[in-house]
Amino acid sequence: MDPITLIAAVVLIAGIAIGIAIGLPVAVAMGLPSAIAIFILLGEWDGATFTAAQKIFQGSNSFSLLAIPFFILAGGLMNTGGIAARLIDLAQVVAGRLPASLAQTTVVANTMFGAVSGASVASAAAIGTVLTPRMRQEKYDPAFSAAVNAASSPAGMLIPPSNTFIVYSLVSSTSIGALFMAGVGPGLLWAVVCVTVVALYARKHPELRMPKGTPRPTFGQTMIVFLKALPALLMIFVVIGGILSGFFTATESAVIAVLYCFILGLIQRTLPVRELPKIILEASKVTGIIMLLIGVSGILGYVLAFARIPQLVTEGLLGFTDNVVVVLIIIMIVLLLAGTVMDPTPAILIFTPIFLPVVTAMGVSPIHFGAMMVFNMCLGNISPPIGNNLFVAARVGNVRIEKVITRLWPFFWALVVGLFIVAFVPALSMWLPETLGLIR
Amino acid sequence: MTTNPPDDADQGAPDRPTRWHGPLAVMNRVRKGVDLLLGWLCIIVFVALVAIVAWQVFTREVLNNTAPWTQEAAQYSFVVLAMIAAAYVFSERGHIAVEILIEKLPLLWRRAAAVVIELIVIFFIVTVFIIGGIAVAQNAWHQSLSSLPLTIGEIYMIMPIAGVLILFYSIVQIIGLIAGVEDPTPDTNDISEAI
Amino acid sequence: SGGAGNGGEGDGGSTSTTVMKLALNQPETHPSFIALEAFGEQLKEDTDGRWDIEVHANSTLGNQDEYLQSVSQGVIDLAIVSAPQLENLNKDFVLFSLPKVFDDIDHQMSVLSDDEIVGDLYGSLAESNNIDVVGGLTQGERSIYLKDTIAETPADLEGKKIRVQESPVFMAMIEALGASPTPLPFGDVYSGLQSGVVDGAENNEISYFSNKHHEVAPYFSFTRHLVGADFLIINSDTLSEMSEEDRAAFDEGWTAAWEQHTELWKTDTEKAIADAEAGGAEFSEVDTEAFTEALEPLLDEFLTEDSQTTLYEAIRGAAE
Ligand code: NA
Ligand code: NA
Repeated sequence: MDPITLIAAVVLIAGIAIGIAIGLPVAVAMGLPSAIAIFILLGEWDGATFTAAQKIFQGSNSFSLLAIPFFILAGGLMNTGGIAARLIDLAQVVAGRLPASLAQTTVVANTMFGAVSGASVASAAAIGTVLTPRMRQEKYDPAFSAAVNAASSPAGMLIPPSNTFIVYSLVSSTSIGALFMAGVGPGLLWAVVCVTVVALYARKHPELRMPKGTPRPTFGQTMIVFLKALPALLMIFVVIGGILSGFFTATESAVIAVLYCFILGLIQRTLPVRELPKIILEASKVTGIIMLLIGVSGILGYVLAFARIPQLVTEGLLGFTDNVVVVLIIIMIVLLLAGTVMDPTPAILIFTPIFLPVVTAMGVSPIHFGAMMVFNMCLGNISPPIGNNLFVAARVGNVRIEKVITRLWPFFWALVVGLFIVAFVPALSMWLPETLGLIR
Repeated sequence: MTTNPPDDADQGAPDRPTRWHGPLAVMNRVRKGVDLLLGWLCIIVFVALVAIVAWQVFTREVLNNTAPWTQEAAQYSFVVLAMIAAAYVFSERGHIAVEILIEKLPLLWRRAAAVVIELIVIFFIVTVFIIGGIAVAQNAWHQSLSSLPLTIGEIYMIMPIAGVLILFYSIVQIIGLIAGVEDPTPDTNDISEAI
Repeated sequence: SGGAGNGGEGDGGSTSTTVMKLALNQPETHPSFIALEAFGEQLKEDTDGRWDIEVHANSTLGNQDEYLQSVSQGVIDLAIVSAPQLENLNKDFVLFSLPKVFDDIDHQMSVLSDDEIVGDLYGSLAESNNIDVVGGLTQGERSIYLKDTIAETPADLEGKKIRVQESPVFMAMIEALGASPTPLPFGDVYSGLQSGVVDGAENNEISYFSNKHHEVAPYFSFTRHLVGADFLIINSDTLSEMSEEDRAAFDEGWTAAWEQHTELWKTDTEKAIADAEAGGAEFSEVDTEAFTEALEPLLDEFLTEDSQTTLYEAIRGAAE
């Protein structure tokens, strides 16, 4: 590495770390050091600000990323439109007979809501709001209730549609359809891990078993619950079916989801029209936050490419070991540590261009790596000190975060085992997209 | 993302009373007006976006004749939405930030740190959004789009415009911090911000 | 803005090397990358290490519309952009994306390297945009391929949805053939063909095979409706910083580069055809006259200015 590149790299890394630590908006903490690094490499400030402006603009100048605001808006419409409540009723039919049934219901409901929504935090909010008060009534430890909600809600980031995968597809130049399908296996694994941990918890807490003789729901009751949830479930077919059949692109399927939720809410009279401006404004704000992050990460990506840093990291890592298992473990640990404080979007934008060339050089599929990376980010979302799903679950459960964290650890470590399965059993992610002919 | 769980000790409440009542009230009214304008702009552009992409699907699948302008129109409306929405979020200081270290400081220090942060934001916005944005706009002023009667440079102007708005919000913020009416680590709505 | 690319100093003894960054949106296996890398090596050798080129492939420095801005600003020195990009700055470049302007690749390359014909055009952006066009690279002959049948005449395309890039010329071209032009992002074309959201697409043979489109649209008809072009652009200040001697080496190296590129293109095309055939694709000649007849009216539609007509006549005059 020549001295100028070295100085630029140091300024870049130190600048981002210090900026984030002192509480700068992450977008500025990423953008400013990147612009300064361009200045160092280029030797002129005009060129640096020019390029930085260009990259921020180009960040949202993409038809594929348009799916993000649309899925966010669809999630907002669903939250208000009562879809969450119907999905919870259905989840209760599925999980209602298990020990600790309300906790299991939380897991199943989060997984189902994740399957119709692009963002997992919406799920934690919607499901937690309804289920945690009920769990309080039935004498569940409130910290445990919140922990179950926090732990199971990220499944929605893995199960399509998923904004996180859309962001990854942007930086990795991979097919959104293939990534969506690659997320299904790991997403279900996530749910299974949570169900298992809850089951083990229930063994130690016999008081959470259902009293003997509780009547089963009749077939008729079950059908009514199912039919009520059907329109929401149909959205999975509209979105995923549309993308897989090639009828729509991901962006178009997202806009169809918006129209679908809107019309559904109107027909079911669960969506008050005067709420609409507020819902759209909320979706705009989340869009503004994500797109600015994507924009500044474009500056960062440019610096990395300009200074050929990914090539240097690849050479360094491959010079250190050519064992793909060791490399994947190193990467997973780095991402786990980063995930403790970083949000998924900036983390994916920063680390994908650095790590993807390394693993593809070792024969790992970018689709499989994407599934692994998003699973990693999901763990980050529930790990302290900073984790959106953790915060939201604690808030809607009305419990102190510290208390939730103590109940969360069993889930966390079980999910770390899940991460290893995702990393070292490629078939879990690759089977579905390969079978559907989405990977060439 | 900031974190203040509801039952945490609330260290961040602004200490009233304040200085400069009159001017501050005017400033706040102006800011509310800008908020309202930007908010409605976001809503209008977002609705337009939904309509444009829906129209694209409709013309292709139903009319079997894709409207050629829809892709560029959608793409550049998205840029406009992203820019004004990002500016709007600066009004609430809703952009993702890690404030666990700052929150441990005593109030006066937190206030000073918040002012420093705003100054860094201003430096970034002025150099990149305003100066850099104008430079690219000028550069691409005659670079036409394929299917719309606009040039890339004209659309780039949204960037310095967003920059000026963010600059306005940051200055308001600093004045508020010095006057003691702004909370240095605001507790915003996690759910709406969360991604 | 001339300070661009001074980052790689201290390479060889006393001379300092100006490393020019070249932005390319193709992978490292593409003929363009191979020829441009060789260009850089040759240039470094011929200028005793004073000038070098660093090719950044895979769009890592951005998209093509950004390349124009960045080269103009001098943030990067060189870039490969397609003809429609330059058309956004000077309408005369539309000639290079119109159907039936060039007979074949050799005719195209003889025009693109003929200073008499394109010299003024290549220099036309220097004053307004601080960009000089160094020269052109062929993007090969483009043809139509379909999911279910060979298109022997335009009548076989009746009502079919053909994927095009979003550009008025391409849309008009497909319409002139009686088909329905359908803009789709390039990354969606494979799945679009597979599922039938489009019935076909158009591209050159190399792209057809390397993107595996032959798997889902195996009927390739040699419509050869147009010969595509890429251009190498350079920041005008950077160019003027070269001494006369270095400039001569640059021009000479570029000639060798495009010649190598053209050769590579032809061999890669043959290989792509053979590989696609082995993968089940069927290649077929078409009724060329019928296609020419359907497409010729487009020339009147798009050649609206005198400068365009003059250029068109000069290009046709160079056809053998
Ligand atoms: Na999802
Ligand atoms: Na975390």
